[in-house]
Amino acid sequence: MTETVQAQPEDRALVRIRGLTTVLNGKTVFDKLDLDIPRGKVTAIMGPSGTGKTTLLKHITGQMRGAAGEVWVDGFNVSKLSRYALFELRERIGYLFQNSALLTDFDVFENVAFPLRQHTKLPEVLIRNIVLTKLQAVGLRGAASLMPAELSGGMARRVALARAIVFDPMLILYDEPFVGLDPIALNQVLKLIRTLNETLGITSVLVAHELEAIKQVADHIYLIANGKVVAQGDPKTIDHDGSPWTRQFFGGDADGPVPFQYPAGDYAQALGFKQGAA
Amino acid sequence: MSTQLERGENVVIGSLAQIGRCGLFLLRILAAIPSSLRYARETVRQLWFVGAMSLTIIMTCGLFIGMVLSLQLYHVLSIFGGTSATGSVVALAVYRELGPVVTALLFAGRAGTSITAEIGLMRATDQIAAMEMMAVDPIAYVAVPRFLAGLVAMPLLCCVFCGMSIFGGQLVAVDWLGVDNGTFWSNMTANVDVWDDVINGVIWKSLVFGAVIALIAVFQGYTTPPTSEGVAYATTRTVVASSIAILALDFVLTAFLM
Amino acid sequence: MSQRKSYAVGTGLFIVFGFAALAYLATQTTSVVNSHQGASYVIDAQFVNVGQLKERAPVKVAGVRVGQVQSISLEPGKDVADVKLSIDKKFGQIPTDSTAVIYTSGLLGDQYVGLQFGSAKNYLANGGHLVLTRSTQPLEEMLGKFFGAGGVADAIGGSYKVTAHFTNVGALSEGAPVKMAGVAIGSVADVKADPVKLDATVTLAIDSKYNQIPDDSAAAVFTSGLIGSQYVAIQPGGSPNSLKDGDQLVLTQSAMQLEDLIGKFLVNGSSSGNSNAGGNGSSNPPAGKH
Repeated sequence: MTETVQAQPEDRALVRIRGLTTVLNGKTVFDKLDLDIPRGKVTAIMGPSGTGKTTLLKHITGQMRGAAGEVWVDGFNVSKLSRYALFELRERIGYLFQNSALLTDFDVFENVAFPLRQHTKLPEVLIRNIVLTKLQAVGLRGAASLMPAELSGGMARRVALARAIVFDPMLILYDEPFVGLDPIALNQVLKLIRTLNETLGITSVLVAHELEAIKQVADHIYLIANGKVVAQGDPKTIDHDGSPWTRQFFGGDADGPVPFQYPAGDYAQALGFKQGAA
Repeated sequence: MSTQLERGENVVIGSLAQIGRCGLFLLRILAAIPSSLRYARETVRQLWFVGAMSLTIIMTCGLFIGMVLSLQLYHVLSIFGGTSATGSVVALAVYRELGPVVTALLFAGRAGTSITAEIGLMRATDQIAAMEMMAVDPIAYVAVPRFLAGLVAMPLLCCVFCGMSIFGGQLVAVDWLGVDNGTFWSNMTANVDVWDDVINGVIWKSLVFGAVIALIAVFQGYTTPPTSEGVAYATTRTVVASSIAILALDFVLTAFLM
Repeated sequence: MSQRKSYAVGTGLFIVFGFAALAYLATQTTSVVNSHQGASYVIDAQFVNVGQLKERAPVKVAGVRVGQVQSISLEPGKDVADVKLSIDKKFGQIPTDSTAVIYTSGLLGDQYVGLQFGSAKNYLANGGHLVLTRSTQPLEEMLGKFFGAGGVADAIGGSYKVTAHFTNVGALSEGAPVKMAGVAIGSVADVKADPVKLDATVTLAIDSKYNQIPDDSAAAVFTSGLIGSQYVAIQPGGSPNSLKDGDQLVLTQSAMQLEDLIGKFLVNGSSSGNSNAGGNGSSNPPAGKH
């Protein structure tokens, strides 16, 4: 199977998820999920909180494995890879963590240089040049000697982005890149995602809630709920497909297919008004 | 009654399971040692934090332990007119028991907790996951250097502790209480044996203690739920588990090395 | 980069400091100089009583260390302790008629072997034998053996039991060592009062290795030092018959005299009123019928 997929390098989908089923703590997170992420595009994955969007990213990187189904990344079945092969694959994937996950022991420069130092034996001059180029790309070349604790949330996320692209990956996964950013920082990050995609052709996967931001940047949107893709399409059409999911999610209604109430027993009975009525 | 019994059973089974997981974690650490050789720089850095930064507390405590031991022994020994033995008894007590045990307890409190808290926070802030994503094995990069640093630092710290104790003992006995300097030292050198007391007592014991403390600290930090109360709880458990392990192992080692 | 270097330098300093401390401990506070084993040769000597002499105790000439005690053993069938002395090659000129004496360094100190040179022109070689020996000296025998008795002889080879009656066993308890010539040959298996004779019956378990003890030997209760525990000493007699399982030792010496002597020497001074050094003194608080 690996050969058949690799025989088509022009395959439009860089990530191909087929029949993925995952059960976490007894709760079914994904139920035979099918999803394609096209090459060279910005794909957004949206959905109500708790639908396992971050879990989906972890499946793509092989940090988690599903109970059933397959996850193909650039022709490799991730759930069948050895740890070593997985590490090789991960060197080609950038991952932007929700809380940046900068190494607190090192300054900005060393944080960005970290993957280079771990995986290459490049001379110091070259490392310096690569790191400064990436920092320049995110506009933080001047902050190279700051420690992570001295950075604002937006700056930290940009440093993390510089670190994620230091190996010029084929795929970047953004986990909630807009959370907690002020409008200026948000726009900076938006612009970076767009630029990276356009100039380097990096395939991007975006997990986020911010509809307006996503409409500006994404080529394709998946809406996931109840472990399945409930809607998909480009930003212009997706909120007109008329399904109750999209209406609730994009309209922001409090009640709908996603209930406002967490599953509970009968209300009146809980308050004691219907004694013995069950 | 029965529920209490069951609870007791659960505690026993729970701690046995914890010991088992800890042992498996040790295997993972040992297996990762070869691949962490290229992170030698990180080991050196951890040795600095774990070892060199603990020097102050170790030296201070060693000094005071030696001083108080000398003071106590002088008064007891003066009953038998044997104050000349102060030096040798201070040295033997420190080398065989107090040095390794007190150093280990201090080390668990100073370095063990900071290792646990640091790794716990690294997990809470996704730094461990980030390493996984950057194709760096966090066991090799985070766990092994700290484990090795603890292993190397403990015997060195214990030697420093013992040296300071002897110095403190001499300060009190000779300079304050008036034991003859020559008698103090000659009695010590006559009764302390380099193999039995220094190598077996100090070095072996503290090597084992260092490994145990570092293992418990790394394990607790690595396996705790990555939340703030998880980290706080793990830090406490590191101190409690290390202390119990140190004192229990001290008995076993003493029985074996004697 | 400078940040990284400073860690390395600091850590290096720490390691050097730690090893310096180790070197200090090993060289300044221990007998590393003493226990260094250079080229040496072994001579042996037989003592009637080695007291508390231990292996690795120093061997001295004129108070200066020339070697150490390598082993102490009791040959089965003999009532003398065989002591092997390992002497440094440097001190190769010990006359064959030298005397080996067991001394105690001070009242509370450990014992060591002192060599007093003779006048012979021949020197002892490896495996040589010192004929002239003097055991622990009388005063020391009384004040004696201050710290811990040697280990109780192991009972792996089996043991046989003999009994002895004492008018007073002092603080003798089960498990106390039984010694001959200062070497442990067994242990006290049982101490109980005899309801008929109104004295103490002590059962001694003696290692079967030592099955040639004359049956007219005497048993005495001694104390290892001022604050030490008590033990039973066997003083061999001259009978051709050996002790067997179930025999009784007729000649016994009770616990009191020695303690009274020590009391007189060390606690009360010499001008004490109750100088009843021969009898079963009443100044002994623990146990005893009198």
